[in-house]
Amino acid sequence: MLVLDRVRRSFGSVPAVRDISLTVARGSTFGLLGPNGAGKTTTMRMILGILLPDAGTVTWNGAPIDDGVRRRFGYLPEERGLYGKMLVRAQIVYFGRLHGLEENDAGRRADRWIERLELGAYAKRPCSELSKGNQQKVQVACAALHDPEFIILDEPFSGLDPVNAEMLLGVLRELQARGATLVLSSHQMWQIEHLCDAFCIIAAGEVRAAGTLDELRAAWPTRTIELEPASAALAAVMAAEPGAVARAGSHGTLAYDVPAATPLPPLVRRLVAAGDVSRFERREPSLNDIYLHATGDRG
Amino acid sequence: MNDIAVIFQTEFMRRIRSRPYIIGTLFGAFGLAVIAILPGILAASLGANTKTIVLSAPPALLAPAATLLRKHYDVVALEVAPPAHPTLAYLDAHGKASALVEIGRTPRGLHVTLFARDAGAVRDALGEDLVPLNVALATKLAQRRIDQLLVVPVETKSLDAKFASGAGAETAKGIALAMVTILYLAIILNAQNILASVAEEKTSRIAELLVATVRPSTLLAGKILATAASGIVQIAVWIGAAYVAAPLIAAQNTDPSSLATGASTGNDALFSVLNSIGPSVIAAFAAFFTIGFLQFALMYASAGALISRTEDMGSVVAPLVIPVVAGFLVAQIAVVAPNATNVIVLSMIPLVSPFVMFARIAVATIPLWQVVLSVALNLAAIVVIAVFAGKLYRVGLLTYGRPPKLTQVWAVLRS
Repeated sequence: MLVLDRVRRSFGSVPAVRDISLTVARGSTFGLLGPNGAGKTTTMRMILGILLPDAGTVTWNGAPIDDGVRRRFGYLPEERGLYGKMLVRAQIVYFGRLHGLEENDAGRRADRWIERLELGAYAKRPCSELSKGNQQKVQVACAALHDPEFIILDEPFSGLDPVNAEMLLGVLRELQARGATLVLSSHQMWQIEHLCDAFCIIAAGEVRAAGTLDELRAAWPTRTIELEPASAALAAVMAAEPGAVARAGSHGTLAYDVPAATPLPPLVRRLVAAGDVSRFERREPSLNDIYLHATGDRG
Repeated sequence: MNDIAVIFQTEFMRRIRSRPYIIGTLFGAFGLAVIAILPGILAASLGANTKTIVLSAPPALLAPAATLLRKHYDVVALEVAPPAHPTLAYLDAHGKASALVEIGRTPRGLHVTLFARDAGAVRDALGEDLVPLNVALATKLAQRRIDQLLVVPVETKSLDAKFASGAGAETAKGIALAMVTILYLAIILNAQNILASVAEEKTSRIAELLVATVRPSTLLAGKILATAASGIVQIAVWIGAAYVAAPLIAAQNTDPSSLATGASTGNDALFSVLNSIGPSVIAAFAAFFTIGFLQFALMYASAGALISRTEDMGSVVAPLVIPVVAGFLVAQIAVVAPNATNVIVLSMIPLVSPFVMFARIAVATIPLWQVVLSVALNLAAIVVIAVFAGKLYRVGLLTYGRPPKLTQVWAVLRS
């Protein structure tokens, strides 16, 4: 289990992370979300020991993260980087060896990953000759070669075409199945929403919301009601509903935010009594809604 | 295998397989051989055209003058009655000789008239070679006596126990200058390689991935060791080239009859030079190369970590070149005046002293306490530089944007 306890880090007089606390359960997949400059990368760097916190502690399974622990971690940084002139296979083997694998073992694993990521045609070519997407796949192999028990992936889907994004999704599923603990950062909410067990949304270096999607939704103050047809009778009922706020609906649809605790059966009865209702839908907030709300951008 | 060993192995192989390294090594070796051989080839080709003469003199002087001039000239013909107005055709007819040397007598002694294609190229030794004949005609002394009188033997008894003779000391100075130059090149080239390597990792953004896996100090140690090793390999290749070129060098400095045994003569010449260096000088070279390289490699590595674009490399390197060049220049003074007060002081100051103290050791007997003090100060300096350079390297590696201002660098060093 990864635990960050009131972790703080500043650069000069600029605070980057302010007293962040979070817990990532072993074997889970955790989404670390936030806008650019929120402090995500700084937090990840502190987890990996690249940066030391000014205050607070970071522990893995109850112990501080030392060199031995870091060796069992994997990392895919947001800023991709490879040795341009080094051959693809040699590069993957090198990172495997830095994580403690013997050369032969690293070689065998590298071959498996090259096959898995469909990089066979490029194995003996310098990394600089690869496309951005293929370079990213090489980095994924570098990060995962040693079967890490904990792996951080910062924006893993950026730069990948849909086919390669799907392939990476498959790789992440495999890592999950092997019991690895994953921390993901991404701005592609639809992918991360389905992949992660729990989330932490940070902005301006602070935790704005944390928990499973159900927990985040439970704390969400409103729900969206969508109605069809967009008749004046139905609109009048909703206008009379306490706390209901009209939203822009799609063509032919009425949309309202209502307090989460609003009892639905009486509302439905009132609507049906007022006129024809061809569609009534109570929509749960998406991760994107929660993210926008938590980071202060309500669209 | 530990992390430093893995980094060392990978960096070393990466470096020695890189095109610039291979080209630099081969061109260096080739250049060294060419530099060694070229002067001899040029001199030989020049000599073929400039030292062939036709000699003209009164009959009584012809034989003794020819004997004296054969020391430096190939006398292709002896003439008692040359043409009054020699032409180039006349010289061409005598084996394309360079000149006609016409010797006559006046009341004041011998007089030489030179009819030459290029007078400057022929006249160098002419007057000097004829001095014994001039003296013999004036004094009537025997030739052997004159030869004795023209040479005053000078016996040098060195008060420095390091060299038995003045010639030995002079040889040591020449060798010391050459070794100081090699030391300078070895240190500055390898330190710049470290800088380029760190800058590559920084600008390619792979640095973050590396320091997420190993400590920055481990990464730096592996890189420095690999660069030092590749530098040593390069120097070894260059010395190997000198070893191969040595027979040719020796051959051109000996008479043609030794060409048949040229190989052994050349190797002997090289061994003779190496023997004259002595183990203490070789040990000092190794020690001060290590010390100097570590000092500059650490500083260059931290400088490399501060830049975000390779174009900025020059601006961060400029201040670091000053102590290297200063050390190199002072070392040349130290070779001439190893015990001057200023030189002694500078041989204690880190960054400069690896060059200066080595130069002093190569040419004089230095009190042991001075050597020990210099090494101790340098080792202490390495620790201090490692602490500060380590901070800059660690912080700089993950900092992108414009090159930091001096105030920002100072803030990191103070942190």
